[in-house]
Amino acid sequence: MEYFLTEQQREIKNLTRTIAEEKILPVRAELDEKEEFPWEIMKILADTDLFGVYIPEEYGGLGGGLLDLCLVVEELSRVCSAVAVSYAASALGSFTLLEYGTEEQKRKYLLDISSGRKLAAFALTEATAGSDAGAIKTTATRTSDGYILNGTKQFITNGGEAEIYTIIALTAKERGARGASAFLVEKGTPGFSFGRKEKKLGIRASATRELVFEDCLVPEENIIGREGIGFIMTMKLLDRSRPGLGAQALGLAQGALEAAVDYARKRIQFGHPIIAQQAVQQMLADMATGVEAARALVYATARMIDSGAKNFTQESAMSKVFASDTAMKVTTDAMQIFGGVGYMRDYPIEKMFRDAKITQIYEGTNQVLRNAIAFELRKKKWVGD
Amino acid sequence: MVNIIVCIKQVFDPEAPASAYKIDAEAKRVILKGIPPVLSPFDENALEAALRIKDAHDSKVTVLSVGRNLSKAVLMKSLAVGADELLLLEDGAFEEMDSYATAFTLASAIGKLGGYDLILTGREAADTNAGTVGSGIAEILGIPSITIVRKVELDDGKVIAERVVSDGYEVIETPLPSLITVSNELGELRYATVKELVASRNKPIMTWNAQELGVEPPQVRQARLLSLFIPQKENRCEIVGGETAEEMGANLALKLRAAQIL
Repeated sequence: MEYFLTEQQREIKNLTRTIAEEKILPVRAELDEKEEFPWEIMKILADTDLFGVYIPEEYGGLGGGLLDLCLVVEELSRVCSAVAVSYAASALGSFTLLEYGTEEQKRKYLLDISSGRKLAAFALTEATAGSDAGAIKTTATRTSDGYILNGTKQFITNGGEAEIYTIIALTAKERGARGASAFLVEKGTPGFSFGRKEKKLGIRASATRELVFEDCLVPEENIIGREGIGFIMTMKLLDRSRPGLGAQALGLAQGALEAAVDYARKRIQFGHPIIAQQAVQQMLADMATGVEAARALVYATARMIDSGAKNFTQESAMSKVFASDTAMKVTTDAMQIFGGVGYMRDYPIEKMFRDAKITQIYEGTNQVLRNAIAFELRKKKWVGD
Repeated sequence: MVNIIVCIKQVFDPEAPASAYKIDAEAKRVILKGIPPVLSPFDENALEAALRIKDAHDSKVTVLSVGRNLSKAVLMKSLAVGADELLLLEDGAFEEMDSYATAFTLASAIGKLGGYDLILTGREAADTNAGTVGSGIAEILGIPSITIVRKVELDDGKVIAERVVSDGYEVIETPLPSLITVSNELGELRYATVKELVASRNKPIMTWNAQELGVEPPQVRQARLLSLFIPQKENRCEIVGGETAEEMGANLALKLRAAQIL
């Protein structure tokens, strides 16, 4: 399908595809097996400007938008979702800064993020606060020297590997979610340490760790925005980032579809390639339709956000829900087409299948996002839309 | 400023599966179906060598390619990674030339460009693997050449190169101008950044046909292709027996010697 990408967007997509096929494909199984963070690949993405595609030129980026970011994520995920999420999590860690940071904060941190010299990460989730994100317990107590952080963040993508963290903590505990604020915390700050690396079903090459804050002193100038708007900024951030997660699911589904079609062309049963079987054809047709529909929705949502729309909670949730459900379905069906060998680790499908599941869970479970979509529908007036 | 010329051949992707290649034995032609053209990999190594010199010294890198129906998209990759100029020698007369005619044509263009300090080529092309064009250019231009090089450095008007030999490498020094053929040990061609890819669209591409070049390639071929065929592969399996492991080993060694492998 023709999506009318700009010249720069086409170059971004092609370059990412070339890097993914030349540098990620040969090592993806090994990275997965060893659960090894893909630093060499991060370096290549950094050297080719790809960390800065969505960052304005004055901060060292290429001045593109969310669609540009989605194109990179999609192409990386087509080959390896773990690499894609490691890349995307750095963007997630920079969005709040990009939107609400002071000029000084942006100058200090965005150059390193856009050049890929440093990775970023975003930390909201805690043991008691998953879908109920307002239930966080990490505190930031104001003192004359700055803020003292205490608490533990859980399941943080790029935890331990990133240098720059956006942390959501309570500056006014009694106010709950309305007492939350966002802070920039650098790796190496005294009182800031990491828990163990989680052992995951999929996206194993990506790093997921606990962040532990024990009387961690953060300078006053590291607060993003002001006290009390941390939760609102976070909800806006996630609305903005979800099409990126949709792109991750989309790329994964595209990769599984291609693998399934190639295999169905080659696999001979009853004297013919199995792609000649209607049962297989019907599955492949549904898979291809789902992938293209997901792409159309993800790109359209990213474009809507890039055009400066104010409220896009519903569209953003829909793009993530639809793309991730598609990724789960397509990888499941791809494994079915592969049959027994698809279940074996010698073939890429079992990894794609494992990698797909998380896309229905993180950055808002698909159930909580359906709630958000329904909430928007309840408010909707169907006139002149 | 160091004036570097890199000669690059466009070939069909040598990474394509063997099943994609067919032969027309009658016409002595390779029939290619769905194989994309790429820069010949050793020539990419040569371009990387040029760019490393450019990283260290004020340099101008000109990429030169000869042929017919050259894909600009493929050759523009050289501009995107950091070459300054691209000169395409395109003419019907430049099709299917042998090594001598190719070397002659490239040398003529280099002579016409003039002012060069260093010429870099790949050690051989990925399609013919003849490995003679580089040395041929040096011979025609009357300049020294160093072949199969893994490292190139410039130092005070001299070039110092590490030449790959079977059990290590030799370090060779020549004055400029000179020609070097580069091997894969030098390292892969870097990726272009997004900014470079977009900017490369505005870099100059010059095209000369035979008339503009001012020479006709030699009509008499120095080398003639006698026949073209895909070798038949035969697999045979033989189990070497013996009472003990030592005996089996000895029997295997004797078999291998008889087959002139050992």
